Amino acid sequence: MKTADFPLPDTAWEGTRGFWEAAAREQLAIPRCADCGRYQWYPRERCRACGGGELPWTAVSGRGTLFSWAVVRRALVPAFAEKLPLLTALVALAEDSAVRVVTNLVECEPEALRAELPMRVVFRPLVFPNLARRVIAPMFTPAH
Amino acid sequence: MTQAPRDWGSASEIPELAGAVAIAGVGEADHTQASGRSAREISAQAVERALADAGVAPHEVDGILYSGGFGDAFDSRAFHAHFGTSHEIWQSPRGGATVQAATAPAAAAEALRAGQARCVLNSFAVSWATQRSQMVGGPGQFHAEERYKASLEVPFGWFPQPVYFATIARRHMIEFGTRPEQLGAIAVSARRHANLHPGAVMREKKLSLADYLRRPMLVDPLRVEDCCLISDGGGAYLMTTPERARDLRRPPVLVAGVGEGRSGTGLYWSQQPAFTSTPQVFSAPAAFAMAGITPGEVDVLALYDPFTIVSLMQIEDMGFCAKGEGGAFVEGASLDFDGGSLPLNTHGGLLSHAYVLGISHVIELVRQLRGEAAAQVPGAGIGVYGGYTGHMASTLVLRRA
Repeated sequence: MKTADFPLPDTAWEGTRGFWEAAAREQLAIPRCADCGRYQWYPRERCRACGGGELPWTAVSGRGTLFSWAVVRRALVPAFAEKLPLLTALVALAEDSAVRVVTNLVECEPEALRAELPMRVVFRPLVFPNLARRVIAPMFTPAH
Repeated sequence: MTQAPRDWGSASEIPELAGAVAIAGVGEADHTQASGRSAREISAQAVERALADAGVAPHEVDGILYSGGFGDAFDSRAFHAHFGTSHEIWQSPRGGATVQAATAPAAAAEALRAGQARCVLNSFAVSWATQRSQMVGGPGQFHAEERYKASLEVPFGWFPQPVYFATIARRHMIEFGTRPEQLGAIAVSARRHANLHPGAVMREKKLSLADYLRRPMLVDPLRVEDCCLISDGGGAYLMTTPERARDLRRPPVLVAGVGEGRSGTGLYWSQQPAFTSTPQVFSAPAAFAMAGITPGEVDVLALYDPFTIVSLMQIEDMGFCAKGEGGAFVEGASLDFDGGSLPLNTHGGLLSHAYVLGISHVIELVRQLRGEAAAQVPGAGIGVYGGYTGHMASTLVLRRA
């Protein structure tokens, strides 16, 4: 079942707690293998490359490029109705372009977007109607 | 652009099955908007029609494939409850629609060869239109509940499926120059076929390319017309050995090849290295090799088409054209039943026939190969179904007997 405060994340859930704790400190963090240095996304128990089991959440620069995006023009989920048009995107990280972060694009217009546009992370609250809880989340904006 | 490694997915091992199984009967339930019926009731109607089509009595069905991934499936208990029978039935959850609409014949072949069954039924139904009217279930629910997606995707509105596939379509446009009117060509051809099909939900609604281009964006770059319907409906097909099928009412259709492929990134499509590809890259070559055919020999194609872009990618990934050339390939009337170079979804597909998740695609191919389809491809001898469910794809090659 959907949680009571859908679509907000369960920031205490072990699987992604490091991501949301870092975001609260205005950092973007991704699990990185302590043995071979490879970033892992989404989180995994063991390193995809070397099988290492130690994958601490590691702060990254927050720089990347725009991989792809969609502009939600009509609300498919009522919770997002007040956010239209909603810019939801995949940003490939500078540290490893195979890591694509699902995010929102802010402080930009859909018409200005193009592939591989340099982006930088900013931290903004996820705010939904009727939900008192707010969660600070990594979002992206064009890097000028 | 970085080239994805070739090992982003793999093909499943499927035993050779040529000559082992034939489809002897098909049946569709009524495909409708919200009907108030349960999936099981809808399945029962499709099954009755499939048995009547084949001329097989309920007590002769001794094998059942049902969908293990969906509740309310038509398993042996539901079968007995509906028909008032009590005989022994072999059953397996390796059936249903989506990917299993193609791989169920491989499961049936195993049972037929092992002597576990002589006459195997596969059925599938959904009541998602009814469910949606009650705000429960439906295609998005699974994704909302998967924990990584719930934490890392849903909060940003990267949800549900139209958003995923708009993002994939955008990247396809970026990498290959694919244009909206090329996606539109897929929607328009599907609608034209649905307009000819007596059971299609969109039978009465026309769609021209000009209409398509005038329609507003739902999730840019996709319009409503790029997205499948949500409907109630279902279908069933009956399988047996080719020898036995020859003694039944209808001309048998032979299963010549089955393939299945999967993506190494599983359900996390955002991370799939080959972002604009489907696991048909792995599935289709295996099925074509088993059948001993090349893509050029396919007379009629049926692709799982939740979105226009999914058809476009599968056409490329199955080898009907080179990767990235799908847009040019589908332009004009290339996909039409009457003169197109590759007739596609001649019943209208998920886009315009009904959202019954691929079971009707296989049924339509059987009708094509029997020469009795509403939008009949003249002389169709080889039909192929491409199944898809994001992290998996499947391929079924059927031949006229």
